[in-house]
Amino acid sequence: MNVDILTLMNLVDLLICLVVLVSAIGVAVHRNLLAAVVFAGVASLAVSYLFLRLAAPDVAMTEAAIGAGLSTVIFLIAVRKTRETEDGS
Amino acid sequence: MKTLLELALVLAAAAALLSVYRLIKGPEAFSRAVALDVLTLITMPMMAGLALWVRRSIYLDVALVYAVLSFLGVMALARYADRGV
Repeated sequence: MNVDILTLMNLVDLLICLVVLVSAIGVAVHRNLLAAVVFAGVASLAVSYLFLRLAAPDVAMTEAAIGAGLSTVIFLIAVRKTRETEDGS
Repeated sequence: MKTLLELALVLAAAAALLSVYRLIKGPEAFSRAVALDVLTLITMPMMAGLALWVRRSIYLDVALVYAVLSFLGVMALARYADRGV
C-alpha cells in the first residue's frame, strides 16, 4: 500500500491537529474557568473538522451540536452558579 | 482546480493558527471568546471547501449546523459578559 504522506491536505490536517493540541493544553492549564470554557469550544470545533475529514459527517454534526452549542452554554451556566476562578491547590 | 482548493485550505488553516495565537495570548477571557468566533468563521469555509474537495453535499449541512450552533455559544458568552447568562 503506497500512502503519500506529504500532501497539502495532510498539511491542513496537521495544522488542525495542532489547534486541538494547543486548546487541550489550554483547558488543562488555565485557572480562569471562563477561558477554559472557550478553549473547550475551540477543541470541539477542530475535532468536528477532523471528524468531517475522516468521512464521518454524522459524527461531525453531532459533535457540532453537542460540543459547540450545548456544552458551552451549560458550562457557562455552571460557572456562573459557582465561582469564576479555580483555587491553586 | 483541486490543487487551488487544497492551497486555499492550507491558507485557511494557517489563518486558524494566527487566531490561536490570540487565543493563547489574550489577556482576558472575552478576547478569547472573540478568537473563538474568528475560528468558527475560518472553519466554516474550510468545511465548505472540504465538501467541494470530496464532492459530497452532505458536508455542507455540517457547516450549516455548526454556523447556527456556534452563534448560540458566542451569544451565550456575550450575554455572560453583559449580565451573566
